[in-house]
Amino acid sequence: MFSQFTKRLATKNFANKLSSKLVVGGVATAGLTSSALLYADSLTANALTAAEHGLHAPAFDWSHNGPFETFDHASIRRGYQVYREVCAACHSLDRVAWRTMIGVAFTNQEVRDMAAEFEYDDEPDEQGNPRKRPGKIADYIQAPYENEQAARAANQGALPPDLSLIVKARHGAADYIFALLTGYPDDPPAGVVLPEGANYNPYFPGGSIAMARVLFDELVEYEDGTPATTSQMAKDVTTFLNWCAEPEHDERKRLGLKTITILSTLFLLSVWIKKFKWAGIKTRQFKFNPPKTSGKK
Amino acid sequence: MLAQRLNGAKLLSNSSRLLGSRCLSSSIVSRNSTYRTPDFGSNVKQDRDADKSRSYAYFMVGSLGLLSSVGAKSTVETFVTSMTASSDILAMAKVEVNLAAIPEGKNVVVKWQGKPVFIRHRTPREIQEANSVDVASLKDPQTDADRVQDPQWLVMLGICTHLGCVPIGESGDFDGWFCPCHGSHYDISGRIRKGPAPLNLEIPKYELDGDKLVVG
Amino acid sequence: MSFATIYRVFFKRNAVFVGTIFAAGFVFQPLFDSGITSWYEAHNKGKLWKDVKAQLQLVGDEEAADDE
Repeated sequence: MFSQFTKRLATKNFANKLSSKLVVGGVATAGLTSSALLYADSLTANALTAAEHGLHAPAFDWSHNGPFETFDHASIRRGYQVYREVCAACHSLDRVAWRTMIGVAFTNQEVRDMAAEFEYDDEPDEQGNPRKRPGKIADYIQAPYENEQAARAANQGALPPDLSLIVKARHGAADYIFALLTGYPDDPPAGVVLPEGANYNPYFPGGSIAMARVLFDELVEYEDGTPATTSQMAKDVTTFLNWCAEPEHDERKRLGLKTITILSTLFLLSVWIKKFKWAGIKTRQFKFNPPKTSGKK
Repeated sequence: MLAQRLNGAKLLSNSSRLLGSRCLSSSIVSRNSTYRTPDFGSNVKQDRDADKSRSYAYFMVGSLGLLSSVGAKSTVETFVTSMTASSDILAMAKVEVNLAAIPEGKNVVVKWQGKPVFIRHRTPREIQEANSVDVASLKDPQTDADRVQDPQWLVMLGICTHLGCVPIGESGDFDGWFCPCHGSHYDISGRIRKGPAPLNLEIPKYELDGDKLVVG
Repeated sequence: MSFATIYRVFFKRNAVFVGTIFAAGFVFQPLFDSGITSWYEAHNKGKLWKDVKAQLQLVGDEEAADDE
């Protein structure tokens, strides 16, 4: 009896030892493999220094930060003015149609007039000659250059990126755009060697950017009398570009509010109903009273 | 023992005949059962109002159903709405034409949803000519007044009703349009007068507002 | 209306119960939507286009825009 018991105990111990060995071995293998993979990756990764990553943009207090905050549409309106007067000289806005700005930052008539200032390709005439027509609100905002080659040729080989989705396309989003626009120092720090025609901006990955500083105080004149400081213009144009990238932003947050309200109410109701349905089951008691066999029968 | 059972079975059949479905709770079953209903007194509410509490419970269940059905409804609506025309299509669904630029007696062709639209600024003589036709003699009888909002402006789809060619303006036997494909002649009101086409040229939906014409 | 009446009128027959729920859904949906929207617009007052438009004293009708 006793020997049998010790034997069983021994087998159990042995099994325990084997399983713990397996666990330790597995953890060690996984750790070593991941370390090796990380090391292998670090050999080929592009950016190794903070400068090559670009300075991380600080988090700014945008008026549309937060789950229930809309864009500041006055800022979008001013931002379009900055885009039109400054950025549009080099940067396209291919994915934004004129009509989308109606009811967002401009009235119908204003957008019509803005679109009509541009010439678009029309249907050819009866002889097949190409024709031009004034822009309509169904058209998309016209690019400053005909094609990529023309854009590169005019900018020493650097392609000004399309700004339609730039806020979504850059790490740091609106914060990065604002930091980049306002982050040009007067002189590059000592020891930084820039290629010909390049400018220094610590927020740009690598530090050397083809775009020079473009925003200076009083560069544009706002119709609503807002002082056109560099940071004000940068803020407005960033808000405008954020709207370009996320035109559904305001409606999305409104729908989110609706959805969250409905779903949380549903959750609370279902908790109550679960409690209600289970109340009878949870308070159920089983009791066995053995029949009294003596006396009767 | 056996007698008792038989007796019981007899009682059961008796009672089932008499009481129908209540037989299971009839005395013979409960008499033989060892089950005794426990005392739930400590679990029962002090002031019981069955109507109030069950109304409350139904209200909660009903609210859950209400919110769920509203959610389901909006989900279905979202999918159905996604089948309607998108805003870029709607933006192109209408064409605006400045009529002031069209001199009297001239044709202008504009593209509307990929289809040519003929706009003719008719002269008084042409209007008179269009009205002087005997409607009963036409293949597709229609008065000129039915085809125009303002007799000065004739707006119609430039697609031959025969096989869909684009007719040529200011030509044909009736000084209207002539389809070069199979030789259909339309008059100055766009009505079929001669040739294989079965119907008059179609009139699109349009609005005239002073010098502005909106097709669509 | 006592609870007994409420129970008898709305909850006793399942068809009436379910029917009431669906009917109430049609009433609830627009009410809820306008309630949320008015809160959202009050919360963001001054930033919305309609406020900006009023401030800039622009006249224009955006509604006509969508169908042209």
